[in-house]
Amino acid sequence: MKKTKLLFGMGILAVVGAVLVAADHIDAPGTTGNTADIADFYGFESPSNPGNTVFIVDLQTNVLEDLAYGTFDENVLTEINIDTNNDLIEDLVIQAIPRKDTMYFFGPAIPSTTGKSSEVMIGSPLGQVAISTESALTTTTESGISLFAGPRQDAFFFDFGQFNKVIGGTAPEGFLPAGEAVDTFDGANTMALVLEIPNSILGETTGTNVLGLKVYKTWVTTNRKQ
Amino acid sequence: MKLYTIKYMFLSLCAATMFVACDDDDALEMVETSCTDGIMNGTETGVDCGGASCEPCEEGEEMMVTPPDFSGTYAQVDFMGRPGINTVLSIPDFKDPYNQAVPSTIAEFYQKDFENRLEGLHDVYAELLGLNPEDVNYQPNILGDILNGPDKDGFTDNIVSAEVLTTVLANDVLEIAPDLPTTYFNGGSGAPNFEGAIGFTGRTLQDDVIDVSLILLFGGGDGARFNGQEVEGVGTFPRLVSDGVAITANPTDTFPYLGAPE
Repeated sequence: MKKTKLLFGMGILAVVGAVLVAADHIDAPGTTGNTADIADFYGFESPSNPGNTVFIVDLQTNVLEDLAYGTFDENVLTEINIDTNNDLIEDLVIQAIPRKDTMYFFGPAIPSTTGKSSEVMIGSPLGQVAISTESALTTTTESGISLFAGPRQDAFFFDFGQFNKVIGGTAPEGFLPAGEAVDTFDGANTMALVLEIPNSILGETTGTNVLGLKVYKTWVTTNRKQ
Repeated sequence: MKLYTIKYMFLSLCAATMFVACDDDDALEMVETSCTDGIMNGTETGVDCGGASCEPCEEGEEMMVTPPDFSGTYAQVDFMGRPGINTVLSIPDFKDPYNQAVPSTIAEFYQKDFENRLEGLHDVYAELLGLNPEDVNYQPNILGDILNGPDKDGFTDNIVSAEVLTTVLANDVLEIAPDLPTTYFNGGSGAPNFEGAIGFTGRTLQDDVIDVSLILLFGGGDGARFNGQEVEGVGTFPRLVSDGVAITANPTDTFPYLGAPE
């Protein structure tokens, strides 16, 4: 590698005030402390019904002080994007947006426009659920989709303090061994949206992963009202 | 004033005060409401709750009198597919622009920068080890053996070069297999055969996505290249293939899966 590359690597140290936390918590200056900050995104086969897929979107976090945490923002529309034909462009969108004490869900539906600008798909209501406080309030729609919105444990785990030393070049030992390493997210909470949906509603996919297995290709965005 | 005008004035008065329900007939009958009649009436904000005279509504019981306003245009603020991509592979100047990305164009705009960043992170450790950064580069990872079979030596004949790996990662989407159990990645029996390896079928709450990412970025052909081991003539290699922490939260097997807030 050229010397310039080395400087590029070490230059990470020089970023003053840039606090970075994986997985996506506080991943960029522009979203840090912002009610639209995505903390995490999970998608998995339901443990109780292999025919269902569970999506979890974590917004906001209290892992560090002075960050936005605790209230869903009525001006922030969360979108789960689903590509079913391998072109990395969303074919189906599921939306969630709060009004007062309720989280409203829309979709899954074909979006009128793809990309970075969105409108609420009011023609495709999915259901609604009261926003929880300490205990979980959940609902299941007639079509078998379960919904939840509210504060929950942040399940992410990572020694974030040591990570910053590692990328900063001040940790010759690298990460710490088990027992010495510390999970920065132990005790942290997040504002979670959880949705469990029958795959029959999502439909077929022709997408494949690097191992050739059939997959939905999914991502999440937050979008602020203009 | 004509009679029907008086009647409608009265009706609109009813609507405004809501203390009584009005039957639309010429008798202008008054119907009393109660907090036990099983319908939302009077000043109630839910069925038999809220308003001026009933007990406050429990959470979730309240009904919107008017449908909420969902109008307007919403512009993208944050984006996430796979865990840690923006955090680990974007340089600081790119982190905000990256959140404005769409998956179909990320590779085009960011793959080369991801590749440079991956090599740059290796240079950090070359420097710490007193080695020439030009000699310490990303080595093709275990995916080569998994994809091509173990007869393809991970160090020499492995298609998962830095370019290939960062191209895969630059397709920054979470892949979820509808017909298979979810595993972010599992190397099966491990090197050299990786029997039973499976991955990229989703992400569970328990998946150690950081360790997987570290193994793919820094693990080399056997998954343990930088593992804190002593290397003759060089010194102690840094531990880069695991961050050393396991899950501390308590997910459950039932909806909504995440534990109650702490």
